[in-house]
Amino acid sequence: MIERRPLSRLAGDEAREEAPPLDVRFIRVPSIAERKLGSDYVAPMRLDPRVLEQMQTTIRELETKYADSLKSQIAMLQILVEPACRGDKEARERFYMLAHDMRGLAGTFGYAIVGQFADSLCRYVEHSRDGDWNDGTVVNFHVDAIRDALENPGTDPAITTETLNALDRLIGSDVSERGSQRKRG
Amino acid sequence: MNEIPTRADEDFFCKLKILVVEDSVEMQRLLVALLESMGIVHIAVARDGEKGLAAFAARRPDIIITDGAMVPMDGYEMTRRIRAVEAGGNANPDVPILMISGHAGRENVTHARDQGVTDYLTKPLSADTLYEAIVAAVSKPVHFLDKPGYRGPSPKRSLDARRS
Repeated sequence: MIERRPLSRLAGDEAREEAPPLDVRFIRVPSIAERKLGSDYVAPMRLDPRVLEQMQTTIRELETKYADSLKSQIAMLQILVEPACRGDKEARERFYMLAHDMRGLAGTFGYAIVGQFADSLCRYVEHSRDGDWNDGTVVNFHVDAIRDALENPGTDPAITTETLNALDRLIGSDVSERGSQRKRG
Repeated sequence: MNEIPTRADEDFFCKLKILVVEDSVEMQRLLVALLESMGIVHIAVARDGEKGLAAFAARRPDIIITDGAMVPMDGYEMTRRIRAVEAGGNANPDVPILMISGHAGRENVTHARDQGVTDYLTKPLSADTLYEAIVAAVSKPVHFLDKPGYRGPSPKRSLDARRS
């Protein structure tokens, strides 16, 4: 089922490039459906609205369990923030893992604002140095914002957006300031 | 989404074998539940890239769904090794690899593409995005670059993240 393709039939940048070296081949890999269904297969496979509905129902069923888990995770963030800012490496790792989980999952289960603040917190931590933690202001602000987003889901979206923008600016200026210091150093 | 599904589609998902490589227990639970909702019954779970490579060789999945950031081995390195045809034994080296990541930046998508990731989905994940990505992965033939040390989607192709 492997087919050699002449270069001229390739789309995009590849078609405009020079001929590849002799030990490079372009091959057509049959789809999984072609391999498993063979001649019964009619491309493309169709999206089934009933399947999608079932998947959305599954998410709704998991929401309650996730809400409990999210509360526990936020409580744990509040416990970990102090030792993390003091320099406890294990606390920092656990703190980041919790925030990372929230960034990935909260939005799926209807806690979009929690997810956005968690994303902002993760980006801050990913770009931070030890000294950034010692002050703790930015980290604590994020934790408070996450807790507030969970407890007061009806907060004016304009305030949330403005807060996120302010955090973006703060994080951005921290990073660029660090870059300037490095250049100066 | 207004086409009438065929009987073949429903049966098809029962035959798929999927490997989920993900370190978050909550995310594992969500992905497994969503895949089961699609009618997929053969699902293996590994909690990092290293265990993912072992499961890839042992289970020979049709599709891999992987997280990006994991320790000790992340999803990028796992993908690189699969595309380097180092890790699979009799497993299918042409396996579609869908990466689901919280990192939505261009540099992350480009890095994933360069390692041989087939499709890149950003978190938070929605049912639509996952479903569409899986249907695309199983139904579209792909064009692979085959050269010493690499067999996979062309690292020069355009790849945009699927966002929910």
